[in-house]
Amino acid sequence: MIGSATLAADLITWAFDVHIPLVYTVLGLLWTMPFVEMKGVKSGNTEYFRLTRSMFNYMIVVYAMGGVFGTIITVFLAGLMPVFTNLAGYMLWPVWALAIVAGVLITIPMIGLYYRTFERWSHRRHIALGLIIAVSATIIPAMFRLVFAYTAYPFGTSVIPDSSSAIGFDLAVNVYTAFENPLYLPLFLSTVFASIAFTGIMMLFGYTLSSNSSHSGLGREIGSRLALVFGPLYAVTAAWYLFEVYLHSPTIAWSLFGRPPSNLNSVLYAVYRPVYNLSWDPYAVAILAAVELAVILYLTRHTNRAIAWISAIAGIAMVDLAEGGNLLAHLPYAVVPPQSLAVQLIHQYGITFAITVAKTLQVSTLATVLDYLSIIVNQMPLLLIFSVAMFLFFNVLVLGVIYLALQWRSTK
Amino acid sequence: MVTPTILLLSRVVSAVGILVHISLASSFLGTIALALLFEFRYLRGGDVDYMKLSRKFAVISTIIFGVGAAYGTLVEFGLVTVWSNFIALIGALALPFFLELFAFLFEVVVLPLYLYTWNKVKNGWVHFGIGLAAGFGGFWSAYNILAVMASLSMLPPGLEIVSLASVKSSIGGAITYLLEWQKPSDLFNMYWWGANVFIFHGIFAAVILSWSIVAGVYIRRYLRENDQMHLKFLKNTSLTIAFLTLIEGLVIGHYQGELVIQFDPLKLAALEGFFWSGLKVDPLISFVATGTFNHPFWGLFSWPSALRPPFYVTYAYIVMMVGFGIVLGILTAGIGIYLLFGGRLASFKLGWLNALGPYLLKVGQYLIPVSAAIASIGGALSAESGRFPLIFVSSVPNSAGPPTVTGIPVSAILNIDLSMPYWLAALLLIVELSIPFVAIYGIYLYSRRSGGDAQ
Repeated sequence: MIGSATLAADLITWAFDVHIPLVYTVLGLLWTMPFVEMKGVKSGNTEYFRLTRSMFNYMIVVYAMGGVFGTIITVFLAGLMPVFTNLAGYMLWPVWALAIVAGVLITIPMIGLYYRTFERWSHRRHIALGLIIAVSATIIPAMFRLVFAYTAYPFGTSVIPDSSSAIGFDLAVNVYTAFENPLYLPLFLSTVFASIAFTGIMMLFGYTLSSNSSHSGLGREIGSRLALVFGPLYAVTAAWYLFEVYLHSPTIAWSLFGRPPSNLNSVLYAVYRPVYNLSWDPYAVAILAAVELAVILYLTRHTNRAIAWISAIAGIAMVDLAEGGNLLAHLPYAVVPPQSLAVQLIHQYGITFAITVAKTLQVSTLATVLDYLSIIVNQMPLLLIFSVAMFLFFNVLVLGVIYLALQWRSTK
Repeated sequence: MVTPTILLLSRVVSAVGILVHISLASSFLGTIALALLFEFRYLRGGDVDYMKLSRKFAVISTIIFGVGAAYGTLVEFGLVTVWSNFIALIGALALPFFLELFAFLFEVVVLPLYLYTWNKVKNGWVHFGIGLAAGFGGFWSAYNILAVMASLSMLPPGLEIVSLASVKSSIGGAITYLLEWQKPSDLFNMYWWGANVFIFHGIFAAVILSWSIVAGVYIRRYLRENDQMHLKFLKNTSLTIAFLTLIEGLVIGHYQGELVIQFDPLKLAALEGFFWSGLKVDPLISFVATGTFNHPFWGLFSWPSALRPPFYVTYAYIVMMVGFGIVLGILTAGIGIYLLFGGRLASFKLGWLNALGPYLLKVGQYLIPVSAAIASIGGALSAESGRFPLIFVSSVPNSAGPPTVTGIPVSAILNIDLSMPYWLAALLLIVELSIPFVAIYGIYLYSRRSGGDAQ
């Protein structure tokens, strides 16, 4: 028997774990390409231009795949947690709108222009265009990370009792205030740094595998430098994020650190107890980071395909564990109610109302309100088995297509 | 606060966006079908021209898919931000969306494989099989999305509307309507008979539209270059378009009409232009619908004005969809017969068609794509504006007057916090209309690079 909350969490986490490494690569490549081209201009070495082109070709394939899985996440959210997605859409609509304007309306046509103007425009203009694309693409995580920060700590939200509301209250968000969320900046910065570091790891991997091309040495060198510079920056900002989580988001902190945060009133332990103890997750990420560091240092001196594979697998595992852990640590909540809000609601409206609000924000409530899919899945387990088999099959196919794309481009 | 202006601007912006997305999706369905058709003919007969055509349409379908998928994300986020209170209803419609994901995965993963494996798989039929899987993804995707769209026009059996608004309640001050199935297994009623009629109507329209546009381009090139490849394309597609149009109009259209009579008599009155109040006999419609000449229909003015669809749907249905659909059918049938049987027409006493053929080609190069586009837009307007101001429409008999038409008001699913100034609506419209040119430009670049033929 699979509960709707488990089904929702598992499906969303799966799609997220495929989506995140892909979009990290896109963001990282978009920021890296203009600087590689700039280096080519300064050094007069045309290999840098070839490298930029090969990075671009790879980026296009990954962008398409990443976009598809982004769509899948949205469909899962809408299908499995419709009320949550509905309220998030209506309260934070300027955030979604800005993300889509930047991500689709501006970035995609400009990527087409960037491709068409390779070696047609002057390098200076082409580099400027590349930087504009990188900035516009960065608006996507800048907006989506606000939603993530919001679900961990709904800053700027007011809860107003409303007897006519079926859930007993109304929610209102001041979007401008929401940007002052203390979790937002470290989360956003760690995302940008992680994406560039991860891209470095993938470049090191890719250009070690295709070591026969003339620019692969440059690709490996730039990849290792990116990973070595931006990896530590990611570590610092991720630690900053975890510190803010510890202060403001009791359930996530409890899940990730294995015990309730010291500032959490023991009276509220029952309210904030997480579903999963993920205290092993940060350690696993740290161990993988150490392995990654050793592997990168080795690969800066040697070309070894087997070690490059270890680097790629460790990199993907690190990203997925960090992001997946952050996501699952929310449970049982979709939106973790802040302790200050809980105390305020208890004082103003009584404990029953505060518990009503907390229960409403749980995944199980948001997933079961209308979730016919999980009922069908429970009645027809074959549908679930078929779905899991298909998702696994497509995971393999996605990797296969990316591999073919790499092979295709490197032999062209 | 939802004002009539915000509602109108949101509708216009969304309608244009959805129409453009549908055009791109239709073009993908049509072009991948062409790629498969010509690859099949190549594998059967070994004619290299068919291989070139197949490869060309495989590339074009991939370009269109790429732009269409990006556009789909735009439409999806438009739904979340503009029509956010529709999302709460999606919980009840989760099955088609869930199954559509597999279709989407098929498309996005298998389509590049189809392109990549050209000339790399020794057995051509294996490559054709990969193409079939990619095509299946596209059509399965359309099948599921059209099932959802069908439910907006006709409430599926077992699905019930829960009106929180009627008891002055809401969820979080925003959500005022929910959907509920009588029992979970009713979820499969998303694919009931009525939905399938709607779905196949849409899929046929997609193929007719996209093939007609390509046929227009190919007639033009055939007239200029007079070459075999363009002629082969036209011989394969012209009569097929005419046949599909015939099925669409006379068979599927007939069933669609019966469903409209049953589920939404108000929409029927608006589409057919029953501009009267109370019951009145319309002999022609009566004959088409029931086989008799004396069946009475409720006139449009029998319902309160707030419930009536906009008047332009009559024009969209009769002139745009039916009228231009007939023009399209006649033109493609004439051209198809002329190209396929030109030399033998005289023996069937159809020699006059030989004289008419060149003229049909000259006119057809413009009129075929234009007629198909107008008919498609007319069909979309009839189906979607014809049910306005409601979604999830159903009707129940009323002994005291016309059937009671019920549903969820479109205004109830709009984001109540949305602001949509004129400048923003104008900007969105410009962007929505300009994105398809990315696809057109991509196809132009590909055609120019390959010299018109896939190499």
